[in-house]
Amino acid sequence: MNRGFERHRSIIDFSISSLIRRKGKNLSLLAVYTLVVFVIASTIFFVQALKREAALLLGESPDIVVQRLVAGRHDLIPIGYVEKIAAIRGVSDVKPRLWGYYYDAAVGANYTVMAADSDPPPAGGVRLGNGVASTRRLSDGDVLTMRGADGTPALFTVEKVLPEASELVAADLVMMTAEDFRTLFAFPDGRATDLVLSVSNPRETTTVAAKIVRLFPDTRPILKSEILRTYDSVFDWRGGMLVVILSVALLSFIIFAWDKATGLSAEERKEIGILKSIGWETADVLMLKFWEGTVISLSAFLVGTILAYLHVFFFSASLFEQALKGWAVLYPRFRLIPVIDPYQLAVLFFLTVVPYAVATIIPSWRAATVDPDAVMRS
Amino acid sequence: MILHPAVLSLLIGSLLTCFMLLLALVNGVRILVGWDMGSGSERQLALERRTYLVSTILSYVMSFQLISLFLFIFTADRLHSLFSGAMCAAGTLNANGFGYPLLILKVVNFLLAGVWLILNHADTRGFDYPLIRVKYVLLVAIVPLVFLETFFFCSYFLGLHADIITSCCGSLFSPEKEGVASELASLPSGPTEAAFFSVMATTFIAGLYFCRKGKGGYVFSALSFASFLIACASLISFICLYYYELPTHHCPFCILQKEYGFIGYILYITLLGGAVTGLGTGALQFARRKKSLRLVVPTLQKRLATATIVLYLAFTLLVSCRMIFANLTLRG
Amino acid sequence: MTVIELVNVTKTFNAGRTNQFKAVQEVSLSVTPGRVTVLKGPSGSGKTTLLALIGCMARPTSGRILLRGVGKPLFPGAEDNAELEISSLPERFLTAIRRSAFGFIFQQFNLVRGVTVLENVMLPAYPTGEKRGTVRRRAQGLLEMFGISRHASSRVDLLSGGETQRVAIARALINDPRVLIADEPTAHLDTGLSRDFMEIMGSFKAEGKTILIASHDPLVYDSTLVDRVVEMRDGRIIYGGDES
Repeated sequence: MNRGFERHRSIIDFSISSLIRRKGKNLSLLAVYTLVVFVIASTIFFVQALKREAALLLGESPDIVVQRLVAGRHDLIPIGYVEKIAAIRGVSDVKPRLWGYYYDAAVGANYTVMAADSDPPPAGGVRLGNGVASTRRLSDGDVLTMRGADGTPALFTVEKVLPEASELVAADLVMMTAEDFRTLFAFPDGRATDLVLSVSNPRETTTVAAKIVRLFPDTRPILKSEILRTYDSVFDWRGGMLVVILSVALLSFIIFAWDKATGLSAEERKEIGILKSIGWETADVLMLKFWEGTVISLSAFLVGTILAYLHVFFFSASLFEQALKGWAVLYPRFRLIPVIDPYQLAVLFFLTVVPYAVATIIPSWRAATVDPDAVMRS
Repeated sequence: MILHPAVLSLLIGSLLTCFMLLLALVNGVRILVGWDMGSGSERQLALERRTYLVSTILSYVMSFQLISLFLFIFTADRLHSLFSGAMCAAGTLNANGFGYPLLILKVVNFLLAGVWLILNHADTRGFDYPLIRVKYVLLVAIVPLVFLETFFFCSYFLGLHADIITSCCGSLFSPEKEGVASELASLPSGPTEAAFFSVMATTFIAGLYFCRKGKGGYVFSALSFASFLIACASLISFICLYYYELPTHHCPFCILQKEYGFIGYILYITLLGGAVTGLGTGALQFARRKKSLRLVVPTLQKRLATATIVLYLAFTLLVSCRMIFANLTLRG
Repeated sequence: MTVIELVNVTKTFNAGRTNQFKAVQEVSLSVTPGRVTVLKGPSGSGKTTLLALIGCMARPTSGRILLRGVGKPLFPGAEDNAELEISSLPERFLTAIRRSAFGFIFQQFNLVRGVTVLENVMLPAYPTGEKRGTVRRRAQGLLEMFGISRHASSRVDLLSGGETQRVAIARALINDPRVLIADEPTAHLDTGLSRDFMEIMGSFKAEGKTILIASHDPLVYDSTLVDRVVEMRDGRIIYGGDES
């Protein structure tokens, strides 16, 4: 046991010193490796963090949302449905919701307009999301002009701008009273955009949804669990797509690593020849190569992961901003909650360290199986 | 198809393993065919160099199998939210017919790779490569199994379809659609408990006898493997219940979660470790006859048997402590 | 006593190809233990290959090589004097024997550049798993014995020819071998240093070590220390073999 330990220790020491002896080559390898880890780690952390945010938010979403469909398209739902639905056993609360989209031609942005059902702003007043406020350069007390459905301008006073912390959810939000909402959009009376329900026993949601459809065949109930699953799936898919795209980079990295490992300089070759001639066997040289690879992998993994962590959680993944912004004019600034778990690290490990290790198996073996007498013959 | 980064990483890992094993197989066959220990020809020397490549590949494969086993279960757990009715990894694995066979095959391949490495270690101690043929024949048997595993892997993940809203007009919702069952077939707890403790005790006795007298290697090995199987069944049947303190939660994968202090890792690693060393002891039993290994193998076997006993003892003690101190009784 | 015996040993390179050649052809030799033997001959005569074969660095293509007196540490249960056929041993065993029984001094010295003198001397002991402290002390003792301990932390590139050779000799001795093998040791040395070298070899002979030197330097093979000269040409022994 002790012998084995001493042997490992000596070989590890020697491997570190031999890495340092070839600084140039190893630094360039380390740099590329770290970059690859950084990019993949940033992607994974970012997608995971967004997923978690979405899950947290959607956790607050209503148990069931009931929409009305006409000819396969979303239509306004009669408020009269509320009574019958409230009567279904298991439903603890039914509320109509008023919300819609408003296109602001002045800045080319889409807002989500919503009627507040609890704690409404004063009549004629609005609460704005941070994104709206900054795009239109409005603050408390200013006036927001919107065009009503009939073309006449409607004026609203900004009562409050929603805090920056809510930006991810509410950047494009405009909240007003229900009456103002109906006036602005010339919304038909007795209708709402959709209905939201709370169900007392979560296991009953499916049964309740079945009953709603039986009562009103023109409706479509959407369960919270379905929304959560769909979002999860989309995030996973997006994350996966990114990784697939990155796999091109990964492949180039593997080829690069292979090349570096195979391309032993004459100096390196001679050194291994010397080691073999003075009494190191193939297994010892393989161990040397293994530790060299491990030191490089661990360093790249550590540095790359830390940099990615800082990038995503302190700089809000600013490098990805351009790619994510897309058409969005109101791109929210946000600080994601740092979340890392060993699972993500394991995935990252598999995507980066394992391919590197495999790429170096054959070159290491070739280097290690040099004949001990080769150095005498040359 | 679930395009989750973890799935992709497992896939990449699986494909790389297949590639490496293919290389190992090609070299293995060459070695099997052309091996001639007595000759000093360049061909023989080249073959001897190749044996190093094959053992390096197999070591990597084994470590990969172990890590990917846990990563796979973790991924299955993370994906459970995509399937209605799935509460944890057990549900995800049930989502299509390949889930559990894939898991079992992964464990089998891990054990086989472990036994191969033990045989390889013994082989290097003999001055005439005494186990070379056995090793490479075993390799030829392992490779198709790993390929099969990758096939199962692809079939499983390609066959997974998340229960999501796929069209804006439709919705998943339909009362008749059944979700994925999370139940696991489990044996009745009373008899299983008895079987578990008794087979463990017998294994310990056989192991101690083997270490002292050096006899009964095959018996010990068989008993240790039986312990492994019964321990797995016991985990599902009653052990996990004590960790969850719920008489109905039979899932053996949830103990790997943070909520339970990651205890599952320790339990599974001791169990898998003990299974490998136990099997290795039996695998080496026939190697005693080889002249060059006559003195080496018994020591090696004793060490392996001791390792098995220690690991299984750790497992049994952990489990027993939990059973005594948990707020749950299955009696009555 | 370590006895080395070669029986009809041949070493072929590039077998089956157009540039196939036999470096050593059907050589039978019994190396006298405790004596200084010199292999003499022009370059290409096979001296270096023969040394490699004797020193467990290479396996013969055909023929047998037998060793006596090296078995104990490696083969549990074997007596120290048992005769071992090493021609078909796996690399692991060959290297283990070589590490413990043989010390090599190469023509080009072959020290690792960029590494200190002390570490160079310690290198052959790394794979044995011996405690670093013990090895270090032994290495320092050897450096002192050769009068170069002041260079212990210097880089090997900065030493003179003679100093480098003494480091190479120290390295060859780190595992306390019974047999010393030197390949053209005086090729890069002037007369004074060559004589120093032969003196050092003399002291080892007095300790009972077996010494094998390949050289075409008359200073070496004409030295009074030399007990036996074996002459080689084209891979065969032409004089001084076992019959004489």
